[in-house]
Amino acid sequence: MASFIQAQNLSLAFRPKNREAVTALTDLNLAVTKGEFVSIVGPSGCGKSTFLNIVLGLIKHDSGTLQFNGTPITGPSQERAMVFQEFGLLPWRTVEGNVELGLELKGTPAAERTRRAAELIKLVGLNGFESHYPHELSGGMKQRVGLARALATEPQVLLMDEPFAALDAQTRDLMQTELLQIWERTKKTVLFVTHSIEEAAYLSDRVIVMTARPGRTKDVLQIDLPRPRDYEMRLTPEFNEIKLRIWEVLKEELNSRAQT
Amino acid sequence: MSAKEYFAEHRRFWIGICSVFVLVCAWELTLTYIFPVNPFFFTKPSLIGTAFLEQIQSAKLWHDLAVSSQAFIWGFSFAVVIGIPLGLVMGWRRRVEYSLDPFLTALYASPLVALAPLFIIIFGVGVTGKAALVFLLAVFPFVFNTFAGVKSTDSLLINVIRSFGGDEKDLYLKVILPSTIPYIIAGARLAIGRGLVGIIVGEFYAASEGIGFAISQAGDTYRLPEMFVGIIILSLIAVVLTELMRKLESTVAPWRASDEVR
Amino acid sequence: MQPKKFFAEHESFILGTGFIVLLLIVWESIPLWYTLPRGMALFFTTPSKIAAAFYELLLNGTIEKHFYVSAIAFLVGLGLSIVVGIPLGLIMGRSRTLEDLLDPYITAANATPRIVFLPLLILWFGIGIWSKILIVFAGAVFPLLINTYVGVKNVNRVLVNVVRSFGANEWQLMKIVVLPNSVPYIIAGLRLAIGRAILGVVVGEFFGSSQGLGYMIASAATNYKVDVVFVGVFIFMALSVILTLAVKQLESRLASWRPETAKTF
Repeated sequence: MASFIQAQNLSLAFRPKNREAVTALTDLNLAVTKGEFVSIVGPSGCGKSTFLNIVLGLIKHDSGTLQFNGTPITGPSQERAMVFQEFGLLPWRTVEGNVELGLELKGTPAAERTRRAAELIKLVGLNGFESHYPHELSGGMKQRVGLARALATEPQVLLMDEPFAALDAQTRDLMQTELLQIWERTKKTVLFVTHSIEEAAYLSDRVIVMTARPGRTKDVLQIDLPRPRDYEMRLTPEFNEIKLRIWEVLKEELNSRAQT
Repeated sequence: MSAKEYFAEHRRFWIGICSVFVLVCAWELTLTYIFPVNPFFFTKPSLIGTAFLEQIQSAKLWHDLAVSSQAFIWGFSFAVVIGIPLGLVMGWRRRVEYSLDPFLTALYASPLVALAPLFIIIFGVGVTGKAALVFLLAVFPFVFNTFAGVKSTDSLLINVIRSFGGDEKDLYLKVILPSTIPYIIAGARLAIGRGLVGIIVGEFYAASEGIGFAISQAGDTYRLPEMFVGIIILSLIAVVLTELMRKLESTVAPWRASDEVR
Repeated sequence: MQPKKFFAEHESFILGTGFIVLLLIVWESIPLWYTLPRGMALFFTTPSKIAAAFYELLLNGTIEKHFYVSAIAFLVGLGLSIVVGIPLGLIMGRSRTLEDLLDPYITAANATPRIVFLPLLILWFGIGIWSKILIVFAGAVFPLLINTYVGVKNVNRVLVNVVRSFGANEWQLMKIVVLPNSVPYIIAGLRLAIGRAILGVVVGEFFGSSQGLGYMIASAATNYKVDVVFVGVFIFMALSVILTLAVKQLESRLASWRPETAKTF
């Protein structure tokens, strides 16, 4: 099956002024099929967020190829939308105004924007909060706005950069389940970066483990748990076994020299 | 809400009012009954009050205020119109920042009022000279605060806009400008203070009208109550304008819990 | 290859100084390519003339004499504002009642241009050093006072509780937690105070004095000696820049542990 997102021999080095170059990614190979939920885990500093930003189109790789649906990725596009760890909501706009942001930049007419935004606000469970400002919302609510905003432009791919890391444990669990429900309904391709093995195993079809810096794909594990998944699954022995397998792979990288 | 709760919440306001009230009474009583007041050196609230009423009824006070305001508004407006775009350009283009920053910083740090005598002598004692002085003093807070506002834009938000494919125009209109507005308002607050210094110094130095002139003339002729009236009126205007700016700042940017230096 | 790399690395410095040099050159050359109308010619001067005047005044001791007078007013006024402003700020920061009591006066006095009190001070103290010192004091004390008490109020609650849990009293709290925490704010306040103090010297000497650099500027202006005016202005400018840079150095050294320093404007 032709891959929807395909990275081959991707390399990137950062060259800060007056300092030594830092190789973030080297010969990274990765493939994602359409409609898949793929998580990327790896030690701190391995380059997973960097990779996500390259897929988003904000950073350019040095060498190798990165293709989206057959064409190389050269910059941001409506087809790929990101949900950020620190939410990135415009503080001076209401929830509605924030959700409409992508549509505005796309040039969608106002009436259509309002309609679409209302739809999504309902989807993420924030109806009633349209006129609230970000500083009036809790962390979980802010991230729902982030999610609604990302979905508003109907991208084909959802890129999520540790989206729940800034939330407390309970909210995080809640958001994970909700994310799965929304994913089932909208059928997007999701590339999800996280530090949490449990989160990766619970959410994904496949988990990609990266090496320590400079990052490349170390291993890919298939998660054969039935869908739809519920919270109780996390307490089963099968789930723990999966977690253990991921951990075994990751463990080696955590002890290695290049971890930041 | 019970009386106790009300006072707890508005504590600051009421203690402040009481403080002022007590001071004024003490001042009046001390100078009336305890120390006789030498009219050439001291005055008391009742005399100030009388002078205030006289002034309000006479045309002179209003005329002075109008004259000073005119010059202030002209100078301030030019400061806004030139200062804000300049700050934006400095924030936008790094080369412009590099070229202008040392020069403008040196000017901002210097007491530009020192040029006041020169300005007055060149432009004369009318509106132009005073407005030019106000402009010179008020433009810098606008330039630097706008500049700081642009540079302090959250880079996360810039990435968000770019991730949706926004171009530079979108960046400016949707993120940088809104983000800069609270800074600009803070700059306005500072500019008001500096502009007022310009008006006063200009009018002290060489003027025949205006509130600054009124104060200094009252001083020259030992008319203390009138001098105090002038000082108090000016002070009131300054406080009202400054507090207005503060209110505006917190309305426009309620998400900034800034506890800043005044 | 070398010059290009050099330029790129020191870009900000080169552009910055280059711009200033360019301005000076243009200024100097104006009489060469533009004939001024007779009225303007009286007020016009060039950098070279200013430098010449500076040299001359330096040699005959005029600058020294006036500088000394201004410096005294500046130092005494600033010193007084430090001695009054910082302790008062510390106490106000810890006592809400005191802060509420004094707040109306401080707000009013801070918003009002302090020079408006100059005629009053001259009335009381005459034309001399004291009215100047007091105007300097009045200008400089407020940034110090306000910054100090904002710094005290902003002390991290958690730290205070930690020290308190070890049984510290109010005085020890001050010494161990509150004061060190306030230092960055106080230094920022000092930087603002210096600017205001210089302003006070300038304005005080315009009107309330017969000596000092400000007086030198004012009397030169009246006599149309524009080059002398600029000499005075540039001296003040240099002093401001030097002092502000010095305090900024102090700030970065003493406040380096703070993730965000007090607002600088």
